[in-house]
Amino acid sequence: MPGMLPMTAPSVAMPTSLTEALGALADHGPGAVPLAGGTWIMRSPLRREGFAPAYVGLSRVAELGKINVTPDTIEIGAAVTHARLAEALEGLPEVAALAFAAGNSANPAIRNVATLGGNLCARGFAAADLVPALLCLDALVEVAGASATNRVGLADFLMHRDRLLQGSVLTRMILPRCGRPSAHARLPLRKAGDYPVAIVSMAAGIDGSGRIETSRIAVGSVEPVARRWTALEDALAGQPLDPARASDIARSLTTGFSGREAVEAPGWYRVQVLPTLVGRAVAALASQA
Amino acid sequence: MTIRLTVNGEERDIAAAPMTPLVDVLRDTLHLTGAKPVCREGFCGACMVLVDAVPTVSCLTPLVLAQGRDVETVEGLTSADSPMPVQAALEEHDAVQCGMCFPGMVVTLTHLTTAGRCEPSREAVKAGLVGNVCRCTGYERIVDAALAVMEDRP
Repeated sequence: MPGMLPMTAPSVAMPTSLTEALGALADHGPGAVPLAGGTWIMRSPLRREGFAPAYVGLSRVAELGKINVTPDTIEIGAAVTHARLAEALEGLPEVAALAFAAGNSANPAIRNVATLGGNLCARGFAAADLVPALLCLDALVEVAGASATNRVGLADFLMHRDRLLQGSVLTRMILPRCGRPSAHARLPLRKAGDYPVAIVSMAAGIDGSGRIETSRIAVGSVEPVARRWTALEDALAGQPLDPARASDIARSLTTGFSGREAVEAPGWYRVQVLPTLVGRAVAALASQA
Repeated sequence: MTIRLTVNGEERDIAAAPMTPLVDVLRDTLHLTGAKPVCREGFCGACMVLVDAVPTVSCLTPLVLAQGRDVETVEGLTSADSPMPVQAALEEHDAVQCGMCFPGMVVTLTHLTTAGRCEPSREAVKAGLVGNVCRCTGYERIVDAALAVMEDRP
């Protein structure tokens, strides 16, 4: 029953390999949930969700903590923390959006423990910073199950998250290195330290005359789950990297969003600030180009 | 379930449910009441402790994730008889008011003022203190104290 606390305290297994982790999930049945840094799961009682009956800790599974940068791809293990991610990606312009998202979300102590996998798997966490950043970078998600390991695009993962994660573990993200600049514009109500009201992440190919050839733009925190803003991607094709013009174009295309209501901001406000964030993202891209 | 961890240099065996928040173990079992469960959401920093020398919010740390690790609380980092540099600087700069946030503030500042952890600038210290909320002081004297410690360190 939703909101009902379990009668007994949840058990926690702490496996040291992915095989053991998958085995522990199978042993404990469909109610078992992977546990990484714990920053979302520990607040389950505050959300009146209660704890799951069993958790499988991932922090001792060494292979989930690896970051592998090759000339073609960047692979990031699901148990990599935000702090480590920000540090590892520093100086790689094509993933500037992700580095900024990882280095500015929440606060330093949370960034030291909250993981990439947790950010992607937390159900109901609309303000996750990494999700729109990864969407604009065309990330693939790798999910390991008992019988197979599959890679899916992030948008598909978000759409089918509950089914894909049943008895499985998100193991890593794979980012193609396409050399395009990227940026992440977020609007917290304080300068730092709280959740962003809205997020615009953007990666763009820029031609020799400084115009946008193609782009991938993602919006986070406005609706319950982050998604691409394809109408704006189409409209910005061929446009100069002009923040004011991009902002004006964005303003004419916000009708498709239905902002979520929450205690920190009403839905209309989240949608209203999007054009400003688009302008900021374009300004950040222009500074990299 | 018994979980072993080191608290302020002493090995402790804790018999508690594995998802028990570390802050509750520190306060209710070990009677170390410096860390305070104020927001229990990881926003305020009043429950900050060092886990393997890294500032960590103990309200969101399940006991099981502290297993085998080295936890230092404000009680282990400070002394009433011979105040450590962060304590002395906070007193000298008249930075302490109600005291609710200060145990956590001292833990974070102890980390930040360790050589090589933080650039000695106002901007960097403020960025390092983003997760420590104080509703009394306005932060400026706390930043002054942190910078004074950084400037004086060998």
